[in-house]
Order: sequence, then C-alpha cells, then structure tokens
Amino acid sequence: MKNVYKIDMVVILVSVFVLMILVGYTSPLVIAPLDEYETNENSILFVIENADKLLIDDNIDFTTPEEYVIGEGLKINLKPGKYYWKAVGVFKSEIKSFTINSEVVLELKEIEEGRYGVVNSGNTRLNVDVYNGTAIVDKMTLKVGDEVEVSGDKIVGEMSDE
Amino acid sequence: MNKGFMIFVIGIFMISSVYALGVSPARTTLDFSPGMENTVDFQILNSAGKDMNILIAAQGELAEYISVSSGALNVAATEKTKQVSYEFSLPENLGPGLHTADIIILEAPNSADGATSVKATVAVVTQLHIYVPYPGKHAKAEMKIVSSKDGGVTFVFPVISVGEFDLTSVKVNVDIYDTAGTKIDSFITSPIEIPSGEKKEIVRAWGIGAPSGDYVARASLIYDEGTQSFNGTFSIGDAGLVLQDIGVNDFKLGEIVKLNMLVENRWNEKIEGAYVYANILNDRGDIVSKFESAAHDIPSKSKENFEAYWDTAGVKVGTYEADIAIKHGEESSKNSLQFKVDENELTIIGLGYVISDGANGGENGLVIILIIVIVVLVLINLLWFLLLRKRLKK
Repeated sequence: MKNVYKIDMVVILVSVFVLMILVGYTSPLVIAPLDEYETNENSILFVIENADKLLIDDNIDFTTPEEYVIGEGLKINLKPGKYYWKAVGVFKSEIKSFTINSEVVLELKEIEEGRYGVVNSGNTRLNVDVYNGTAIVDKMTLKVGDEVEVSGDKIVGEMSDE
Repeated sequence: MNKGFMIFVIGIFMISSVYALGVSPARTTLDFSPGMENTVDFQILNSAGKDMNILIAAQGELAEYISVSSGALNVAATEKTKQVSYEFSLPENLGPGLHTADIIILEAPNSADGATSVKATVAVVTQLHIYVPYPGKHAKAEMKIVSSKDGGVTFVFPVISVGEFDLTSVKVNVDIYDTAGTKIDSFITSPIEIPSGEKKEIVRAWGIGAPSGDYVARASLIYDEGTQSFNGTFSIGDAGLVLQDIGVNDFKLGEIVKLNMLVENRWNEKIEGAYVYANILNDRGDIVSKFESAAHDIPSKSKENFEAYWDTAGVKVGTYEADIAIKHGEESSKNSLQFKVDENELTIIGLGYVISDGANGGENGLVIILIIVIVVLVLINLLWFLLLRKRLKK
C-alpha cells in the first residue's frame, strides 16, 4: 500500500515538474528592451524568444495595438512617447513599457553669407521661426530630417503640435 | 521675461560657428494642483561636440512662475549632454485648460570660435504644459478612422477626462452614410468609465463585407454631462475596379488582335474616364509590346467591356509577363498576369486566382510540442489512477 502512495506522489510530482518546464520553455523570453526603458533614440531593438508577435500600443488596454512579426534583430521606429508592449507566442508575456523621450535638435549649416541650411536633427516635428534682427521673417514646420534654406540671423526651434 | 526682451537677448549673440544645439525633452506635461511646486530636469544636447556658452530663459504665460537654476552656463566639448533644471511655483488658481511656458536655450558665441564667418545663432525650446481641470465633468476627444487589414475600418475615439470629476458613462453613437446621404448603418458602443485626468480609447470596427466606396461617419460622443460631435469620411475597399476576364477571338500571332476585357466597378458610385493599359514584358523585364483601351464611364456596381487592339507583329511564341493596369484619374489598380502565346492561341494565366500572402501559414511547433506533452501526461495520469493503481491495491 505504501508503494502505491509513493507512486502516486511520483506521478503527481513528475507531471507538475514537466508542466513547469514546459510552461517555462514555451513562455516568451524577453531579453530586450528592459521594462520602463527610456531612450532618446526613435529606434528600439527587440530581442525576444519563444514568441511570434509583438504588440505595441500607447494605451495599456491595447485597444489599437500595432502588430509586428518577431524576427532576429527586430528594430521598430516610433515617435516620442510612452508605449506599452507584450510578446505573444503560445503564452503572452507580461505587459512592459518603454519611453522615447522627445528631443529638439537644430543644425545650422552655412550655405553662403546670410543663407543657411536648417536641419531638424531631432525626433519630433518642429516649428521654426527665423528672425532678422528683432523681426520674424519666416515661419515653417519641419518634419524629422527635413532641411530647408533660410535667410536670417536667428533660428529658433520648438516642438510642433501638428 | 517678455518675447521682445528675449529677441533682444538673442540679437546680442549673433556671431558664432555652425551650430548644432538640442534639448530633451521637447515638452513636459503636468496636471495642475493649487500652489503646485516642482523641479523639471532637462538635458542640453551638444551633438556637435564643441564648447558652448548657453543662455537659458523662460517666456510665455507661465514665465513669471518659473526660475531657471542657471541662467548662463558652459558646456564643454567633451559633454555630449548637460543636465539642467528649472523650478516653478504655480499660484493657487489658474483658469481651466492649457497653460504654457517656453524655456529657451540659446547658444551664445564662444570667444575661442573666432575664425568663422557664420553670423547666425540658434535656439531651441523645451516647453512646459500645465493642464488645469475643467469644473465638473468634461471630456476632450477626437475621432480617428483607420483602415484595417480585413478590408473594413476601425473607429478610434481617444477620450481624456479633463474635468474635476470622473466620467462614469462615456459612449459613442456613430451613423454611417453613403455619398448620396442615405443612412446605411448605425451603432452605439458600450459605456465606459474614465477617471479624472486619464485617457482611454473607445474602439469599434466596421465595414467588413461592406460594398467598396466612400462613406461619411457622423459620430456623437455622449458622456455624463455633455456631448461632442465629429464628422469624418472614409473609404472601404481598393479603387473598386476589378479586371474580371479577358477574351480573345481568332488569335493569330503577327496580326492585330482584339482583346475584350471585362471590368467590374465595385465602388458605390460611378467611375468616369477609366481605361485599361497593358505592358507585355519579356523574361528580362523589358517591355516588348503594349496596348491601351479607350476610356469609358462605368456606373456603380456594374461591368463594362473594354476593347483593346494588340499588334503582335514581332512577338515570338513564348510566355510573357503582362502588367495590366486599370486607370482612372490618379487611381490605378494593377494586375500581373502571364500571356502564353502560341501561333494560333493566347492563353491568359493568373485571372481568378488569389495569391495568398502566406502570413498565417504553418503550425506553431511549440504549440504542437505543448499539446503532445500535455496529452502524454494526461494519459499517464489516467492510466495510473484509473487502472494500474487499482490493480496494485488488489
């Protein structure tokens, strides 16, 4: 009779052990990025194993997620903001977040005296005001990477709401 | 500090080098509380990697409540970023809505930078946005209509509860109209709660299986103490012109061949000035021949025969790729077919087939492993507890 109970225990323990191994083996393994990761780069590298899809949303309820197929070296470009994400395979990973900090970067390249190339080198759309003395002589909105020629002696850039 | 003075300050520092100046974050957004005091950190970005003299000043509506920790500072060439901060101390009361200030970071000329002819200077701004709740219950929302993979659209209503109190019931009623103004569908979403200061999205898909065409959506956001209206237009389906069939009678290689191409207009309105244009390509992708039909108007939900004449002089027996485009206005829908040309026969390959994108194909190996192992475990347990165990007990 004692042997029967011993075998009961062995069967139960082995079953539980195998299930734990299996769940661990098939659960998404998230290597990067870390939870609550913060960066100024628009491009985020995801390293995830045991998952097929990556869901990213700016809403923790994932009401309108962007869906990506996970592959080796998956890099995703996003606008500045806080994002929530989870990996989905046989099981789902826990919800993690990361933040892309907004940055305003203006580069000024001289073309000829009084004329400049202005480049939006940051990661957000910019409103740019061009001054000549104290007067505003030009106003424009630059997308990320845009370069325009301006004539003036002061160039001021700030984040655009558009 | 008023704007005129700031411009004056900027004007003083006109002689400098080629600039690259940045600041992060571009904006700090906070919710108001009476007498609120806070310190906001930001980074000056020295992406050009040079010595810089920096001036910092606040301007705008909230400027009088802001003090910058260091109005002037140096950034060394070795410092890629420099951590700076400003403090603000807000009054007990501010009117509801958005209140802002700009913190201007200005690069002043460096005396070591003398050998330069650049006489412009650059400034960047980090913004402070303070939101003051509206009295009572108040919602701020917008409507977005996004095309979905399944051919329909998704209505998305991001709603922010910008009032003092929580919104206990927020729902959306959407009426869909066709371009003739006939209401064709209507739906209302389930109510949700949105705590004060929080943002939630109301999402609803629509239009799977609806006829292709343009539609108008009129939506009403209904919440505890008010409503907001939105109007938007959207399209379902592709351009709406579908090549259904190509018929050829009495094909003889080397002669001018008449092709009858049946095109269906699946759009919910008449399409004017449509025509078919074809390029016949050899195996290197070079155009060996081309033909074009006359233009026709196609009424909504009907089919039209387009005749085209293909001069096959110089075309050899073989199989050719055929790019056939149906064009109208700026729109174009392309069909990639194969023309198998014999002396007395033209066989058209590719029409009527749907090419799978293959995205959903294949079993997930892990799922199979998981299922097999679980089944084996269940079987072992059943075998032991229901059969072997009883035998051993006896």
